[in-house]
Amino acid sequence: MPNPLALIAEITHRCPLHCVYCSNPLELTSRNEELATADWLRIFAEAAALGVLHLHLTGGEPLARPDLAEMIEGARQSRLYTNLITSGVGLSRERLAQFVEAGLDHIQLSFQDSSGGPANWIAGARAHAHKLELAAWIREHQIREQQTGERRIAFTVNLVVHRQNIDHLEEMIAALEALHPDRMEIAHAQYYGWALQNRSALLPTRAQLDRAVAVVAAAEERLRGKVRIDMVVPDYHARFPKACMGGWGRQLLLIDPAGRALPCHAAGVIPGMFFDNVRDHPLAWIWQNSAAFQKFRGEAWMPEPCRSCERRQEDFGGCRCQAFLLTGDASATDPVCELAPLHHLIEDAVREHATAGPVPAAREASFHALQENTAGFWSYRTDPK
Amino acid sequence: MADLTDASIPKFAAGCRWGGTTEAPVVLFPEGAIRVEGTGRIILELCDGHFSLAEIVQKLEAQFMLAPKGKIRADVETFLQQLHAKRIVDY
Ligand code: SF4
Ligand code: SF4
Repeated sequence: MPNPLALIAEITHRCPLHCVYCSNPLELTSRNEELATADWLRIFAEAAALGVLHLHLTGGEPLARPDLAEMIEGARQSRLYTNLITSGVGLSRERLAQFVEAGLDHIQLSFQDSSGGPANWIAGARAHAHKLELAAWIREHQIREQQTGERRIAFTVNLVVHRQNIDHLEEMIAALEALHPDRMEIAHAQYYGWALQNRSALLPTRAQLDRAVAVVAAAEERLRGKVRIDMVVPDYHARFPKACMGGWGRQLLLIDPAGRALPCHAAGVIPGMFFDNVRDHPLAWIWQNSAAFQKFRGEAWMPEPCRSCERRQEDFGGCRCQAFLLTGDASATDPVCELAPLHHLIEDAVREHATAGPVPAAREASFHALQENTAGFWSYRTDPK
Repeated sequence: MADLTDASIPKFAAGCRWGGTTEAPVVLFPEGAIRVEGTGRIILELCDGHFSLAEIVQKLEAQFMLAPKGKIRADVETFLQQLHAKRIVDY
């Protein structure tokens, strides 16, 4: 059995933002169920011993944990490559310096749009201005480290795109380029959790998508060697599904705030699944033996057309959670696949939602005006207790 | 892309570093890791900020004396340019 390469640590579900595209589960873990610092440090050490190279500290908003600097330090002591995936809300200049000192390798900061009004509207919170301030502080570290020749923290800006902001992509890339990131990740919303609830407002049209692909290609050409651009294509518009998590139980494992080990962030939606807890078992035992990880590992569970398809080693039959959410059967071929018997579900969704959906928001509109005009337009992610 | 000249000093870009084990080293970067073996490993070990491209090529030529003239330089350039496009090596 291969060993896992990355650990996704959802250290809390608490978050000051309310992004309409959030892929967290609808049932969020509350604060009093969260693992303690010592539990996390033990998990990091066990993960490293199991062969894990990368740690992704995420949430919710990881900054909501006051012990985050300690966790970063512990992760580095376990020799993990440490990524912080954050909205930036809750990060002061001093705290950033602590993280850098603790050995943080990479910070990924999310943006919702190119200007404050629509960005805050999508996040359901006034967060945009602070993100810009934070980017300037990250820049300070990069310049200082460059001068002293020390190791430098990598800076990625992340942009989740969907029908409401995708037409601003050119302005977004320009605005983010000015922040001097090393990388830009342009990720299309993935329809799980809150994003699935809001799908009718978020799914882009084919024409929007084609324009966006051209914009990204031009930016890649212009920024080569300066900013690396990674684009995650929306699978609703692709011919074949993505190899979700690099295949079930093959490369990644996710620990939720309460210590449950999941093969992927959405696996909790599949009925009848039991997720072993890191409070009860060592990580190595979970990876090898947990029923949840065994469930769709390998090829034995595959139905036709996957079972005899030559792409099965490439995409592993697509995403199990999406298969369940859309077809009601977690072992079905991912309906995104054009060979899937239920592919028409995707075609219908694209036809219904992505042709005559609500008009994309204007860039200049204020947060307040947008909220007034669009009450009931979508549901914001709530915050757990 | 920045020009790669004799005087360029190639080094790991921000957030890129060695990881893995001594027997099976990998280069870690934000979204993944690459296993480097053989010449690739030798080149990257020289990308520690102390050597210029000219010096790196010189060292390799001394080590691989049978390689045809110019080939080593061309190979090193291609290798470094590819990693530069991925923002793993800067110069
Ligand atoms: S609400 Fe936004 S910032 Fe918070 S976890 Fe969800 S996507 Fe991330
Ligand atoms: S039939 Fe299955 S294995 Fe083949 S491309 Fe579609 S999802 Fe992938």
